[in-house]
Amino acid sequence: MTADGAIVLDRVSVRFAAGVVAVSEVSLRIRAGEFVSIVGPSGCGKTTLLNFAAGLLPRDVGSGTFTVGGRPPVEGNRDIAYMLARDALAPWRTALENAELGAEIRGVPLAERRRRTIDLLDKVGLKGFEHAYPKQLSHGMRQRVALARTFALESPILLMDEPFGALDAQTKLQLEDVLLSLWQRDGRTVLFITHDLSEAVTMSDRVIVMSARPGRIVAEVSINLPRPRSVRALQKDPAFHELYAHVWSKLEEGLGA
Amino acid sequence: MNDGILPRGPLIWAGRLAILAFIFAAWEIVSREKLIDPILIGAPSGVAQFLWEGIFVNGSLIDDLGWTMLGTLLAFVLGSAAGILFGMLFVISPTLEALFNPILTAMNAMPRIALAPLFLIWFGLGLGSKVAVGFSLTFFIVLSSTVAGGRGVNPDHITLARALGASGLQVFRKFVLPSAVPVIFNGLRLGLIYALLGVVGGEIIASEHGLGQALQLLAASFKTNGVFGIIILLALVSVCIMTAMNWLENRLLRWR
Repeated sequence: MTADGAIVLDRVSVRFAAGVVAVSEVSLRIRAGEFVSIVGPSGCGKTTLLNFAAGLLPRDVGSGTFTVGGRPPVEGNRDIAYMLARDALAPWRTALENAELGAEIRGVPLAERRRRTIDLLDKVGLKGFEHAYPKQLSHGMRQRVALARTFALESPILLMDEPFGALDAQTKLQLEDVLLSLWQRDGRTVLFITHDLSEAVTMSDRVIVMSARPGRIVAEVSINLPRPRSVRALQKDPAFHELYAHVWSKLEEGLGA
Repeated sequence: MNDGILPRGPLIWAGRLAILAFIFAAWEIVSREKLIDPILIGAPSGVAQFLWEGIFVNGSLIDDLGWTMLGTLLAFVLGSAAGILFGMLFVISPTLEALFNPILTAMNAMPRIALAPLFLIWFGLGLGSKVAVGFSLTFFIVLSSTVAGGRGVNPDHITLARALGASGLQVFRKFVLPSAVPVIFNGLRLGLIYALLGVVGGEIIASEHGLGQALQLLAASFKTNGVFGIIILLALVSVCIMTAMNWLENRLLRWR
């Protein structure tokens, strides 16, 4: 994990063939090891930005300067681990086989990826479920496997597209805790997309607020809550609620604009 | 599949046997009392005697069964291998599918049994023409299920694979193929039944061996008991095939 984990966007716009401007003039600098969330109304281009970073957008829809880990976005960039909103587990693979799928595709030797994956499944709270198939796992457990699959990659940059968006409130808080502890352990850069302001404030160093389409940055809020954070304790912390209200007002400004 | 919902247990089995016994008893009585001409319906006792002799005494049914099964197996193996191969080619190359699709659709729409006389000219009275008819049915069934299975890959898996930098071969081996297997299996199950249908149909039209040929001979001489005997034998064989396929499917696709 020696590679540069920074993400830099300089006046990045994304315009699709139909003339739809998804993202307009976004400039953003994310330091290596920083946890940054992007919030905004649906359709504001949050996921488009993430796909751009992962090199998944067609060529020549984007303009401006975009560097991820020091180079332009490219599909299959090994510096990036991408986590989708849905777990995308392969139903024919066990939890263990699913968790090591990413490392397997990137050619990590079996012994090494297995050791790492077993350790991660333990960390995400799935010890004893290594050989269960996805159909035997609950929604939350499946997303834990996806989390393990993401962290089993040695990539310094994690792109996460509303990974906990479909979970119930309790499970979500649990998984946020798991993610924070994993992140704290090896300090990777996280770019986290969510529509849940509370989630963004809880986990991030910085929250970026975007407007409705075409997506522009309307505010950047630094979250100077001390770390390590406890997701549960924060729910009762006045400082947390102050920041939450602040982000909320910025979001409303963005919606009104 | 409905077995999960249906009640099970010894009572149900006893009931099923009772229903079967009732049907055979009624059949026997109707035949003996000549309520319906026995030439038309035979009689269970006569059917049982025919099967007993054909299987255990002179073995002629075993011989014919062997020929029919050999033809079915060959038609199934060749037809599914070709179906899977072409199906996968179509999945990999949509251009290839676009080129061949109209021809194959037309061929598939054709009543295949109409090809049997042609196959007789080409491959003779023996096994070859029967295998050809079975093949012509199995191939298209397995082909279309393979294409459907290959297309049914979860788009999230493709996104994940792209973000991971998976090669085309990796995407195929790790996502497309495994997600296609259950659908292909449905095609194989149906393909096997249709291979049997094709072979027996071919035998009925003209053959040297096989249950279809025996059936045709018996019917031509109004040996109704024999006709029923072979129909029952074929039904039993089909049930055995389906059971074996289901067992295999449950073993191979435990993750479902």
